[in-house]
Amino acid sequence: MKAKAELHALPGRRRWVNTITQYVVALGGGAVIAAIALIFFYLLWVVMPIFGGASIEDGAVYELDVEAPVFLDVNESDEIGLVFDATGEVRFWDMADGTTRHQLSFERPIQSVKAIYPRSASYAVLTTEGELNLFEARYPISFAGDERSIGSDLAYIFSDQWLEIGEVDDFDVHLANSTLSIAYLSGWTLTLDRYRDAEPDFDLEFPRSREIELDRAFDRVMFGPRGQWLYLLTDSGDVAIYEVTRSGRLNPLHQRQLVQETTELTALEPLLGRYSLIAADDQQQITQWFVVRGEFGLTLEPVRQFQLDGEATHLVPEPRRKGFAALDSGGQAHLLYTTSERVLTSHRVREASGPTAISPRSDLMLIAQPDGTIASYHLENEHPEISMSALWSKVWYEGYPDPVYSWQSSSADNDFEAKFSLTPLLFGTLKAAFYAMLFAVPIAIMGALYTAYFMAPVMRRIVKPGIEIMAALPTVILGFLAGLWLAPLIEANLSAVITIMLALPAAIVFLSLAWQWLPDKVRQSMDGWYGLIVVPVIVLAVVSAFSLGPTLEDIFFGGDSRNWFLTVMGLDYDQRNALVIGLAMGLAVIPVIFSIAEDAIYGVPTHLINGSLALGATRWQTLIRVVILTASPGIFSAVMIGLGRAVGETMIVLMATGNTPVMDWNIFQGMRTFAANIAVELPEAEVDSSHYRILFLTAMVLFMITFVFNTVAEVVRQRLRSRYGSL
Amino acid sequence: MLHMEKTSVRSWFSSGELWIWINAAAVGISIAAVGGLLALIAVRGLAHFWPSDIAEIRYLAANDQETIVVGEMIESETLSMAQYRDSTGDASEFPADQEIVRRWLIKTGNRREDPPDFEWLYEYRFQAVAHPESLAVFERMEWGNAYGELIAVLEDGEVVAGGEAVWPEFRARLSRVEEIRDQIGEIERGEFNAINYELEQLRLDRRRLELNDRLSQAARSSEEASITEAEEALQMRYLRAEAELRALIDQRARDSIEVEISNGAILRLNLAEVVRAWQPNQMSVAEKIGHYGTSVWLFLSEDPREANTEGGIFPAIFGTVLMVLLMSVLVTPLGVIAAVYLREYARQGPFVRLIRIAVNNLAGVPSIVYGVFGLGFFVYFIGGNLDQLFFEAALPAPTFGTPGLVWASLTLALLTVPVVVVSTEEGLTRIPRSIREGSLALGATKAETLFKVVLPIASPSILTGIILAVARAAGEVAPLMLVGVVKLAPTLPLDGNFPYLHLERKFMHLGFHIYDVGFQSPNVDAARPLVYATALLLVLIIIALNLTAIMLRTRLENRYRGVES
Repeated sequence: MKAKAELHALPGRRRWVNTITQYVVALGGGAVIAAIALIFFYLLWVVMPIFGGASIEDGAVYELDVEAPVFLDVNESDEIGLVFDATGEVRFWDMADGTTRHQLSFERPIQSVKAIYPRSASYAVLTTEGELNLFEARYPISFAGDERSIGSDLAYIFSDQWLEIGEVDDFDVHLANSTLSIAYLSGWTLTLDRYRDAEPDFDLEFPRSREIELDRAFDRVMFGPRGQWLYLLTDSGDVAIYEVTRSGRLNPLHQRQLVQETTELTALEPLLGRYSLIAADDQQQITQWFVVRGEFGLTLEPVRQFQLDGEATHLVPEPRRKGFAALDSGGQAHLLYTTSERVLTSHRVREASGPTAISPRSDLMLIAQPDGTIASYHLENEHPEISMSALWSKVWYEGYPDPVYSWQSSSADNDFEAKFSLTPLLFGTLKAAFYAMLFAVPIAIMGALYTAYFMAPVMRRIVKPGIEIMAALPTVILGFLAGLWLAPLIEANLSAVITIMLALPAAIVFLSLAWQWLPDKVRQSMDGWYGLIVVPVIVLAVVSAFSLGPTLEDIFFGGDSRNWFLTVMGLDYDQRNALVIGLAMGLAVIPVIFSIAEDAIYGVPTHLINGSLALGATRWQTLIRVVILTASPGIFSAVMIGLGRAVGETMIVLMATGNTPVMDWNIFQGMRTFAANIAVELPEAEVDSSHYRILFLTAMVLFMITFVFNTVAEVVRQRLRSRYGSL
Repeated sequence: MLHMEKTSVRSWFSSGELWIWINAAAVGISIAAVGGLLALIAVRGLAHFWPSDIAEIRYLAANDQETIVVGEMIESETLSMAQYRDSTGDASEFPADQEIVRRWLIKTGNRREDPPDFEWLYEYRFQAVAHPESLAVFERMEWGNAYGELIAVLEDGEVVAGGEAVWPEFRARLSRVEEIRDQIGEIERGEFNAINYELEQLRLDRRRLELNDRLSQAARSSEEASITEAEEALQMRYLRAEAELRALIDQRARDSIEVEISNGAILRLNLAEVVRAWQPNQMSVAEKIGHYGTSVWLFLSEDPREANTEGGIFPAIFGTVLMVLLMSVLVTPLGVIAAVYLREYARQGPFVRLIRIAVNNLAGVPSIVYGVFGLGFFVYFIGGNLDQLFFEAALPAPTFGTPGLVWASLTLALLTVPVVVVSTEEGLTRIPRSIREGSLALGATKAETLFKVVLPIASPSILTGIILAVARAAGEVAPLMLVGVVKLAPTLPLDGNFPYLHLERKFMHLGFHIYDVGFQSPNVDAARPLVYATALLLVLIIIALNLTAIMLRTRLENRYRGVES
C-alpha cells in the first residue's frame, strides 16, 4: 500500500515511463500468442473456402424475342450473350442491360448448332438443307483512353463456302492441329470427312471421306478424346465406340447398353475432355461412364452415380472443368462434380426448354425458357473438385482401371483431371518420419543415457555441445550430402551397408568382451571414456565393411545386391530412397532428441541414484530401474519433439527422395512428403486456386500435427519439472 | 580355467557392461557421424581450390585404340565385376576369378571443344600416366576449364609470341585484359545500373502522373515536360556510357591465344574469355598455396558464372548477411520483450503457461509452414495491399506483392522468435533476486530497474539468443524458397541508387545456392566441388556462430555463480 502511494508520488515522466513499459511488455508477451494464433487462423482462412459450398442465384431474364433458340453461349467475361435460332438468326446481346448489340442472319433455316470440340467460342452450323459451315465468335477489346469497350462479331473460320453434307440425323466436328474432322449419321450410315492442313481463311477442299454401314440406326454422334474415338448413341441408351485411326479409318471398339431395358435415358452429355459421358435416367440417377482399359480391351464402365430427387431432363457440362449442372423435372437445378462426387447445391429454376449453357468461367448459367426468354443464373462454385473423399479416399479417375490414391496436381493438358489425394503424401510423410525415427530414437536415447549417466564430466562438457551443434547444421547441407554423396554411395555399396548393420553390433560385443580382460587399473582409469574408445572401432568396422563390400556382394548377392533384392525379395530399388532419408533425417533428429533426453536424465536427483546403488544395485540396474523410469516423461517429450521435427523437415526430403508420391513401405523406394510437396509446388500454384488452397491445407495439417506433438511434449515436461521439484 | 571363463562371461553379461558399451557406441556413432560429415565437407570443399596436377594418360579406349586423355584425376572408385558388367555390358577380357575393377573420374574440361568434360576411365586400360610441365589450365568465362598447351599469343590475329616467350607475353596481356574487364564491370554495375534505375523511376513517375486525376492541365504538362527532359538527359548519358563500353569491349577483344588440346586440335581463345591460367605441373608447393589463396578469395568475392556452377558466391554471401541483419533488427525487440514479460512482469499462472506453450510451438512448427504463411500473409496479403496503396504506378508488376528481402526477413524473424525468447529468459533467470531488490530499494521504478539493471546484466544472453537466431536463419532454406530467394539475382539489394536498401528485391542465399547448384544444375559433376565449397563456408559460419553463443553462455553462467550462492 505504502509502495503504491510512493509510486504515485513519482515525478510525471518516470511514472509515465513505468506505466508504458508495463503495457508494452505485456503486449510483447501477448504478441507471441498472437503470432501463433495468426499463423493458424490465416492458414485456416485460406483453407476454409474449399469446404464452402456452392450457390446458384437468380440473375436477369432476357426478353430477346427469339423464336426458337437452338444454341446459347456467353463470352469469356460474361458481358455478351450469343444465341442462334432456328430461322438462321444469330444475335449478340448485352448481358448488362439485355439490349441486342449485333444481329446477323444466315438466311437459311438451321437444323442444329454444335460447339466445335475442343475449341471455345467456335460453332458448327448445320442448315436444314444439309449445308455446314464453321464460325468463330470474336470479342475484340479496345481502349479509347481509359475507356474499355468490347466488340462482338461472328466470323467464318475457313471461308464463306458452305460444305454440302446432305441430310443427316446428327453430326459432330473436331478441329485441332489443322485437321478438321466432321462425322455425321444418316440412317444406318456413318461418315467421317477429314480435311488435312485446314488453314483459316482458305476454302475447304478435297476431304478424305470414309463411310461405314452400321448394324442399326443411331441418334447421336460425338467425338471422343482428342478426336481419336467416336461415340455413337441411341436415345434408348445404346452406345457404340469406334476408333478413328490416324488415316481416318473407323474400327469398332466396344458396344454397351447404358441403361437397363426398363429404364429410360433422359439426358446424356460428354464432360470436358470427352473421356466421360454423364447419363441421366428416369430412376432419378445420374451415372458417370468412362472408358477403362481392362482385360478385355477398352470397355465403357459406370464409375459413379448421383441420386437426385427428380429425373434430370437437361445436363449442362462446365466448359473447363469436370463438373456439370443438372436440371430436373421438379424445377430444380443442381451443380455436381464428378471427381469429388459432390452434389454441391440445388436451386429452384424456371422451366427449361431448348438450349442451356454455362459460361467459360463457370460463373453463369443460361437457360432458354418456353416463353422465348432466356434466364440467367449466377453460379458461385470455386472449389467443386475438393471433398473429403477426393482428398483422403480412393478416387476413380478418368482413364484409370481402378480407384486409386493419387497426387498429380497439374499437367500440360487443359482437360486434365487434377488428382488431389492427400493420402500418398501423408503416407510419404509418415514413412520418412518412421525410418528416421527408427534410426534416431535408439541412438539418441542410448547416447543420452550414456552421456548423462556414465560419461566422464570432462568429456561430457565437449560431447554435449558438440552434438548440439549438429542440431544447428543446416538441413540443406545434410540433404545435399544425402542426395549427392550418400545416395550414390549406398547404391554402389549396398552390401557394405548391410554388412555394417551386422558387423557393428558384433564389433561392440567383441570390444566389450575384450575389455574385461584388461587389468582393473586400466579399466577404472578409462571409465567414462567408452564413448571415445568405441569411435576407432566403429570407424574400423565401417572401413572394413566397405573394403569387403564387393567381395561380400559376390558371395551373398550373386554380384549385384540391387538385382538380388528385386528378384529374390521383390523390392524395387530407387537411388534416393527411405534408407537414405532414414540416415540423413535421423542425423538431423538425433541431436534434438539427444539434447532434451539428456537434460531429463541428467536432472534425475542424485539421491535417488545413490539410494539405489547403496541398496546393492549395479550401475546398469540403477539406470534402467530408477533413472530411466524417473526420466521417462522427459524422454517421451524428447521423442515427441523429434517426431515433430521429422514430420516437418523439408530440405532433406526434398533433396534425397525422388519426390514421387508412391505408397509402398519398401525401404528402398522414395516418397513425397507434405513439406517437400509444398516446397515444390507452392511457388507455381496459382493464387487462390484449389491447388493453392490444398497446399495451404497440407501446411495446416503439418502445423496441427506438430502442434499436438509439441503441446503434449511441453505439458509432459512441465509435469516432470514439478515432480522433480517435489523430490 | 574354462569354468572360470564361463562364469566371468556370465557375470560380465549380468553386470550390464555390454549394455553400457552399446550405449557408449550410440554416442560413438553420433560423434563419428558429426566428425565424419564435417571432415567430408572440409576435405571436399577445400580440395576444390587446390591446383591439382594435370595428368596425360595414354588410354586404351573401348575399341582398343590408344587415345590421349588430359585432365585432372578427381576420384577413383572400386566396382564389383557385376557392376562393371552393368556399365559396360561385357567383362570377357577379365579372368573369371577377378572380383573388382578400379576406375577414375577424369575432369577433361574443354566442354565446348571435346565434350563431355568428365569421363570415367578404367585403370587397367591405362597405358602410361605422365605429368608434362607444359600443360596448363585455362579458366574461362564460359564453357568451363580448358586444358592444353599454350603455343602462341596473337594480337589482332597476328602471332606476336611463340615458344619460350609465350608465357610472359600471355601474362602481360592477360593483366591488361583484366584491367579493361574491371573498367567494363564498373560501367555496367555503376553507370548503367544507375541509368536503368532512374529510367524506371521516371517511367513510374509518368504513370503516377497519369493516375493522378486531381492535377490541373498546366501542372500536368509541366510535370510531363520535366520528366521528358530528365529522360532525354538520361538517354544522352546512356549513349555516352554505351560508346565508352563499346570501345572497351573492342580493346578487350584485341588479343587471343592458341592452345593445343589433347585431341591435337588448336583452340583459339580470345583473352576476353580467359579468367586465369596456370601450369600446375611446374608449380612449387609455395606457388600452389599462393594460387590456392587467390582461388579462395575469388570464390568469396566474385559473381557466379555459368548458371552458378562456376565463379564465386559473393552475391549469395551478401544476400544472406543482409537478410540475417534485417531479421535480427526485427526479431530482437519482440523476443526480448516477450521474455521480459514472462520473467519480470507476468504473474505465473495459466496465461504464462499458455505463452510458454505458444513459444514451444513456434519453435516446433516446421519451417516450411512459416514459408507458406509468409507467402500467403506477408507477400500476397500485406504486400498486395501495399502495392494497391502506394505502388499503384508499377502495377500490374508487383513491387512488394512478390517475394522479396523484407518478407524473407520478417518470416525468419517470426521463425526465430523462440530462440531469442528462450535464451533471454535463461539470462533473466540467472540474475539473482537480490540485484533487482537492491535497485528497487534504492527507489528505482520497475521500468528503471529493467532498463538500467536487469537488461544490461542480461545483455550477453540476449546476444547469445540473437547469435543463435542468426545461425538458425542463415541455414534455413525451405521457407526462403517461398518468400524471396532466387537462384540468380540481377542486382544486389543494396546499391548506390536511392533509397540504397531495396527491401522489395529478391536476393541470393548460401543455403539455397547449395540446393540450386547441387540439384537444379544440368552439369552436376562440374558443379559438385563448388557446392562442397559453399557448404563448407556455410557450415563454418554456423559453427562459428554457435561456438560464440556457447562461449558467451558459459561465461555468463560463471559470472553470477558467486552471487547466487
